[in-house]
Amino acid sequence: MADTVQEFVFNLTFPFSRTLGSTLSTFSSAIAQGQIIGVRTGGRVIAPPLEYDPDTAEDSGTDWVCVGPKGTVSSWTWVPEPTNLHPLDHAFGFAFITLDGADTPMIHIVDAGSESAMSAGMRVEAKFKAPADCAGRIDDIIAFVPASDPAPSEGAGEPFEAPAENEITEMDAFSDLRYIDNASPTTIMWAEALMEGRIIGQKCPQCARTIVGPRGMCSVCAIELDESHVVEVPDRGVVSNFTIVTPTPYPGQTETEPFARCSILLDGADAVIAQQEILDVPVNEIRVGIHVECVWAPENERSAKDIDNRSRGSGGDIIVGWRTTGEPDEPADRYLDRMM
Amino acid sequence: MAPSENDIAIVGFAQLPPERRTTLTESDLVLRSTREVIAQVGIDKSEIGFTVSGSCDYLSGQGFSFVQNTDAYGMVPAINESHVEMDGAWAMYEAYVRLLQGDIDIAMAVGVGKNSNSDPSTLFTVEFDPYYLTPLGTDTWTLAALQARALIDSGKATERDFAEVVARNRSNAKSNPFAQVKGDYSIDELLAADYVRNPLRRHDLPPTTDQAAAVILARGKRAYDLCERPAWITGIDHRIEAHLPTVRKDITTSVSTRLAAEAAGAGKGPIDVAEIHAPFSFQELILRESLGLDASTEVNPSGGALAAHSVMTVGLIRVGEAANQIIKNGKSRTLAHTTSGPCLQQNLVCVLEGDQ
Repeated sequence: MADTVQEFVFNLTFPFSRTLGSTLSTFSSAIAQGQIIGVRTGGRVIAPPLEYDPDTAEDSGTDWVCVGPKGTVSSWTWVPEPTNLHPLDHAFGFAFITLDGADTPMIHIVDAGSESAMSAGMRVEAKFKAPADCAGRIDDIIAFVPASDPAPSEGAGEPFEAPAENEITEMDAFSDLRYIDNASPTTIMWAEALMEGRIIGQKCPQCARTIVGPRGMCSVCAIELDESHVVEVPDRGVVSNFTIVTPTPYPGQTETEPFARCSILLDGADAVIAQQEILDVPVNEIRVGIHVECVWAPENERSAKDIDNRSRGSGGDIIVGWRTTGEPDEPADRYLDRMM
Repeated sequence: MAPSENDIAIVGFAQLPPERRTTLTESDLVLRSTREVIAQVGIDKSEIGFTVSGSCDYLSGQGFSFVQNTDAYGMVPAINESHVEMDGAWAMYEAYVRLLQGDIDIAMAVGVGKNSNSDPSTLFTVEFDPYYLTPLGTDTWTLAALQARALIDSGKATERDFAEVVARNRSNAKSNPFAQVKGDYSIDELLAADYVRNPLRRHDLPPTTDQAAAVILARGKRAYDLCERPAWITGIDHRIEAHLPTVRKDITTSVSTRLAAEAAGAGKGPIDVAEIHAPFSFQELILRESLGLDASTEVNPSGGALAAHSVMTVGLIRVGEAANQIIKNGKSRTLAHTTSGPCLQQNLVCVLEGDQ
């Protein structure tokens, strides 16, 4: 079917807020004021500071040292085409930069104009964001740029007096990853049947179980199933299990009131379809044993765009939900001890 | 040899053909690879005492994909199962350790990676230090390039050496039916390409691959029921260095590889064939040196990781290829290596031997 989605794009977004702990919050609070620091541990100054000495695993302690803002490049590379995750939108360098006063390099960006300007030994200096925009992050330094004066940084190597309490103790870490998945043959088969108002499963030739929706395999016998194993099942069945979800607010959550999600065992099937919504039963009256039938979206409103490999058994926008048929309930204990 | 009950061998290995972009799901790939290896050794799946997989949800973009992947094992009645968020080579290591407990005889390890769903230039930024590296968009290619530049500046290698590694692996891959990237390339032709991350060109970087592989391990004399010439694991070790490459003393060498090779007993005898997991061409040079290999060892007859690089599968394939050199090709002693993390942070070395 032409309008079946073959490829779908999705973003996984993680809006984390990380707590920093004492070492990183000291670093963050200092860099927000335009001061880069390291920590002296095991006879060397590690900058940016680590909580533990990488050689001994001992606590790095609080022997803070002012480093930079100038430093020396020891290794470098060049990014001709930045990605959306890079802070600069034009070609730039990455480098190991040993800041004045430090013994280990830090990894940061060098905005050098051209690749030919990069070399080991080049002197660079930190270019900070405007003070009001500094948030206590490594990217408060926009980039390092070729140093106008190669002379050593003033004050580098001096002790850094940390305040009694650090101002910055958390950091927002926003991760947004883009994926492009392609619908598997089994997913396409499922979506195409739904678009025609049919619910299909696959019947295993070995154990004779009918698995709805199709998985391309029997997950009991561990054998491949294909189109030759497809069977159509009725669009009616019985609620075999349910849960009531009390929504908590999180990014992306649109529900505000408690709602039920039900497993439905379709007539003739051996595996339930999960996460289904019953349209005409109040949440507090949902129970195991109710007979239900499918409520299909009108043919001209159906879309398979939300049916992907991750939502196996989902009806997407094609199945609106399920409504009661009015038949007497099945005994609930008939649905105990089910494995799927 | 008459194996002791603590001797453990690889007795079967199956890999699916690598693809740049499969239409199958990870579960489909697991099913196909495990069914193939089970058929190869001629057992029923109920004879497997322990099953363990290596995969990463981030790659396919599906939370708990490793749980869905267990559909492919047929878990009725319930099986003894585990998972590592690491390459299948580490799953194999766990299977090996599990067999040492002595109460089961057969274990299966799987690696699966549907890598094509994501963009490697951005995905792996979340693998790194979230405070100091991720906010800058620091990617795997960049960190590898910084290591490569340091190697060049140390005088140990040149860009031409990198290109020679690529040409040799791609040429070796021509005889490997499971290679995705293969062919004859001249060094000058390779050196004429643009940099992706100076001094690395596209061919110095790993290809993007969807693939799965599986091995079966057996303990003691049970191995002979499943395989005529088992590949006995005579040494295996895994070492880790600091996460931030900048606090390592010298990134032009790999201390963790050297220590793992020593602990695995790599130097106790000649190594006929080594399968090395070098995601980036130049890392093969660092690894050869750190593994202590000399010219008598054939390196990567399969084409190695530059021929196909399904993250989570590529390391297990190194183990399987090294095992097949004993099982099928009659070699005496082989070595498999795999790596993980930025700039060769973690390294696993496995030494395999056939009966004399």
